[in-house]
Amino acid sequence: MNKQEELRFTKKMQKKLAVLFVLILVAFISLSVRLYAINRDNGEKYKKQVLSQQEYDSITLVAKRGDILDSNGSKLAVSQKVYNVIIDAKTLNGNDQEYLEPTLQALYSTNMTFLFSQNELRDFIRQNPSSQYRVIAKKQSYEAASPLMDILNNTAEYQSIKGVWLEDTYQRQYPYNSLACDVIGFVQGDNEGIYGLEEFYNNELNGTNGREYGYLNDDENLERTIKPAQDGHTLVTSLDANIQSIVEKHILAFNEQYRNAYRDGSGSTNTGVIVMNPKNGEVLAMASYPVFDLNDPRNTTGLKIEMPEMPEMTVAGEDVEQTTGNEEESANENAETEENTDQVQTLSPDALNPGAVGEAYEDAFEEAKMDALNALWKNFCINSTYEPGSTMKPFTMACGLEEGLLTGNENYRCEGVLNVGDHEIHCSNRLGHGDLTFSGALEKSCNVAFMKIGATIGRKTFMKYNKIFNFGLKTNIDLAGESRTDTLVFDEATMNPTDLAIGSFGQGFNTTMIQLVTGFCSLINGGYYYQPHLVTKILNAEGATVKAVEPRILKQTISAETSEKIRQLCVNVVAEGTGKSARPAGYMIGGKTGTAEKLPRGTENYLVSFIGFAPADDPQIVIYTVIDEPNAKEQASAKFATVLTRDILTEVLPYLNVFQTEELSEEEAAELAEKQLLFSNGSTLEEKETVEEETGEDAENENSEDQNAEQEEEVFERKIQYDPETGYAIDPTTGDLLDPETGRPIDSTVSDLPDTPVSPITFVDDE
Amino acid sequence: MNKSKNSKRIEFFGMFDYTLLFIVLFLLCFGLVMLYSVSSYEANLKFQDSAYYLKKQLFATIFGVVVLFLTTILNYHFWDKAALFAYFVSLGLILLVLTPLGYEANGARRWLNVGISLQPAEVAKVGMIIFFASVVSKFGKRIQSLKSTLFTIGLAVPVALSVLFITENLSSAIIIFGIVFMMIFVATPNYKEYILIGVVLLGIAAVFVLLVSKGILPETLSYRFGRINAWLNPEKYASTTGFQTLQSLYAIGSGDIFGKGLGQSMQKLGFIPEAQNDMIFSIICEELGLFGATAIILMFIIMIWRFLVIANNASDQFGALLVVGVMAHISIQVILNIAVVTNTIPNTGITLPFISYGGSSIVFLLSEIGLVLSVSRGIRLENR
Repeated sequence: MNKQEELRFTKKMQKKLAVLFVLILVAFISLSVRLYAINRDNGEKYKKQVLSQQEYDSITLVAKRGDILDSNGSKLAVSQKVYNVIIDAKTLNGNDQEYLEPTLQALYSTNMTFLFSQNELRDFIRQNPSSQYRVIAKKQSYEAASPLMDILNNTAEYQSIKGVWLEDTYQRQYPYNSLACDVIGFVQGDNEGIYGLEEFYNNELNGTNGREYGYLNDDENLERTIKPAQDGHTLVTSLDANIQSIVEKHILAFNEQYRNAYRDGSGSTNTGVIVMNPKNGEVLAMASYPVFDLNDPRNTTGLKIEMPEMPEMTVAGEDVEQTTGNEEESANENAETEENTDQVQTLSPDALNPGAVGEAYEDAFEEAKMDALNALWKNFCINSTYEPGSTMKPFTMACGLEEGLLTGNENYRCEGVLNVGDHEIHCSNRLGHGDLTFSGALEKSCNVAFMKIGATIGRKTFMKYNKIFNFGLKTNIDLAGESRTDTLVFDEATMNPTDLAIGSFGQGFNTTMIQLVTGFCSLINGGYYYQPHLVTKILNAEGATVKAVEPRILKQTISAETSEKIRQLCVNVVAEGTGKSARPAGYMIGGKTGTAEKLPRGTENYLVSFIGFAPADDPQIVIYTVIDEPNAKEQASAKFATVLTRDILTEVLPYLNVFQTEELSEEEAAELAEKQLLFSNGSTLEEKETVEEETGEDAENENSEDQNAEQEEEVFERKIQYDPETGYAIDPTTGDLLDPETGRPIDSTVSDLPDTPVSPITFVDDE
Repeated sequence: MNKSKNSKRIEFFGMFDYTLLFIVLFLLCFGLVMLYSVSSYEANLKFQDSAYYLKKQLFATIFGVVVLFLTTILNYHFWDKAALFAYFVSLGLILLVLTPLGYEANGARRWLNVGISLQPAEVAKVGMIIFFASVVSKFGKRIQSLKSTLFTIGLAVPVALSVLFITENLSSAIIIFGIVFMMIFVATPNYKEYILIGVVLLGIAAVFVLLVSKGILPETLSYRFGRINAWLNPEKYASTTGFQTLQSLYAIGSGDIFGKGLGQSMQKLGFIPEAQNDMIFSIICEELGLFGATAIILMFIIMIWRFLVIANNASDQFGALLVVGVMAHISIQVILNIAVVTNTIPNTGITLPFISYGGSSIVFLLSEIGLVLSVSRGIRLENR
């Protein structure tokens, strides 16, 4: 029994166990109190904390910007889905950096291009443990990102890879690089189109971004919901990539051919070509020079930056001088003198501080760079305003014929000069064209005859028709950046007989290329003025048509009969007159040349052009070629434009399946064969030779009068004399001294070509 | 009624403690429900199977219940004979971790792969309870001498130290030592010495904490020092060592009285990583509120009270001490677990018995309950 007692749990032990139990009970109770205290003291705070930790943050689901297609469905602009790689340093630092190394290994084993090296990234992750969003690779292609996608989609296999994810985005790409760059425009920043179609149709092209976001429902449960992105619409344009590239090829060839021919630089200040379908107002090609790569619009390589010379007096440091040295040629020095003086004044307080000067120089350089880029991006064909010159003459004739003021049977006598008002206005041929028929007046582009026609028509009717042809009004073509010319045309109220006289042959007022070509289409298509446009169809992301743009006739400008007569007159110009060199072998076309002297008068700067249609009997295309200041000693020859036009038409007409109607002479056939070879080779050097040959050949065939006629206004104002006392140029027609800055006569009572409301060719920002 | 004098004979279901069984089964079921609620989100994310943890735990629980049944029907005196064996098995299994059989998970080498995964520290806890119940009951009154007391405690040192250093498991070492300490406390009549030991231990801990918090003992010396700093100032270490604790406090604090409702926890959605392990009690607080948390604590109190009753009525000292050991084990673990989630003590990995996820833990806890129920079966009415 004793033994058993000993083995039993003694009273003392029971007592101690009771003490233990009480101690445990106390511990439990204190912990319960602690739980209560946490709730009482921090309950509200922690409740908010818990809610605020939830991921309400919304993720933007980027909408795809619509494509831009040409009329054959070739993609001119596309949006490619690309991927940004994001890392979450917080996750990678978690769990004693368990995921860090495997994830980095996995990332850098892919062939993506990262913004950081592996070590830089590791340092970043260690130094920014709370960062949850860091882009480490931008705009990776699907091919580059797909290995990482596979890893991220297979979480079961790759458990140690965490804290990295891919973000979808889109990149705008232009498969043809610089093709139709001025027309298409490009995209900057957050899908914002600038210039061209990208800007004009920005809203249609941009879809609506979607969102994925979290919210608390009624039961305070977090729910996430997705509003899918709506992709943008696709534009189908009337542009034909083939015609466009033919046009651009020849513009480039021309500009390379005449590069550094007379002055340093490209073959012209600017060259613009518009090819349009006169039957519906659709633009088939629209190009200008120089071009830029749409995929890299900010590349300034080869761009001439007009940089003001820095004032050397204030420059304390030598380094600034050095940087200034290589920038700018002396050509612009004089023009910039005024600006420089301003800068001297504004800079003088900082003159002691060379750093400030350097900074100011940097700023000025940036500004100059932006100006140069803006000029590059602008579309010459719709943005530049200029005096059209003789290409206006068919309009003047159409006006007289339509109103019955002219019959077409008139005869004119040109003695080389005509007195209008107080002015003696010379014809291009100072010796005079002699007796001319109505058609002959256009063929020879006789200014005297047209001044007479202008006088017959009268101011009111002339202005009425200028309005009918929409001169001074925007065409509202669907491109961003069309210039306003409403202040650059004659005002009927203040217009004097001299204005009327020069206006009748296209001087004294400004147009844009698109205005003139749109009006010309109506001259030769039976009088229908179509709204010019590029977009023919808008498709939604699924490919269904949202909007079809039908050809839109805005008005009837002239009757079909008048149109027929003008067409015949224009054919005569090419067949017999100044436009001979524009005719492509095997085809008959119609058209009119233009050689407009630019402001300031007397600087020997010309804008030469040719506007024509082909084929002659049933015009399918209208082409308008403008060359601003061709790089030659004698700029005033429309031949620059006609030859370029012919080169373009020689390729475009066969492409459009227009049959040859004219017999080929042996020479033409040989030449054509040679050219086709050249076109396919695309060699500009050989082409240059051919064109030169051409010129010689033509000259042989023509008599001296023709030659004169071809160079029309060339004689006019060519020989500039300088006043020995002042050094100012003398206006050859009036004998007045010309102010070297404005080009206006100093004694401005008389002038041959008054600089009426016109300003020199400028890029005018509308809006 | 069996009136045999043989004290070692047990009537089959004499004083079987149904209350205890009921509480255990309740906690098991409750634990499974909570486990599913807590772990489904993360399981779905990791394994594409929201019931991944539940299935594993359910399997372990069923196996544990079988073990509970077996240990219940087995006469607990069998363990008295196997006491020395239990001691060496415990020690041996811990040493086996060093062999290729051991494997590492979550950064610590604590597991054995013997067909199924096994945590030797869990075996050691049961082993120590059996071994010390046997040793102390054999010592009888001699245990009261300081020498024998120190000797007995000394027997626990090799196991506790190997748990601490070989498996790098401080919390299990503390629990093992705590169990032995409590068993000896109950077996000896003294108080003064224990109060003294308690005060000394507290003092050492306080000095230690002070040294760490002042930076005299740099954090780089041991990751545990970092946990001490995080315990003192969890907000300062919100993104690193204090993250888990702070998130746990957020969960408790946002629960209010009745909680957000079963399954409605927000903190389990990735904010408390692996909440089904040590931090499950904070999610219980969040989902079921103070009410639910207090109810669970009450269940544990009742369980411990049942242990008290069974120990007091056990037919012999060995049985009583077995129950005391189990009582010590469970109460230490519950107290430490809740103390950790409420940031009352520094963070250390201790699971909540019967509720937290963990196969070894649940099986060996149920075997301990089986021991207690076996002891309860041996209670003879006439001895009361």
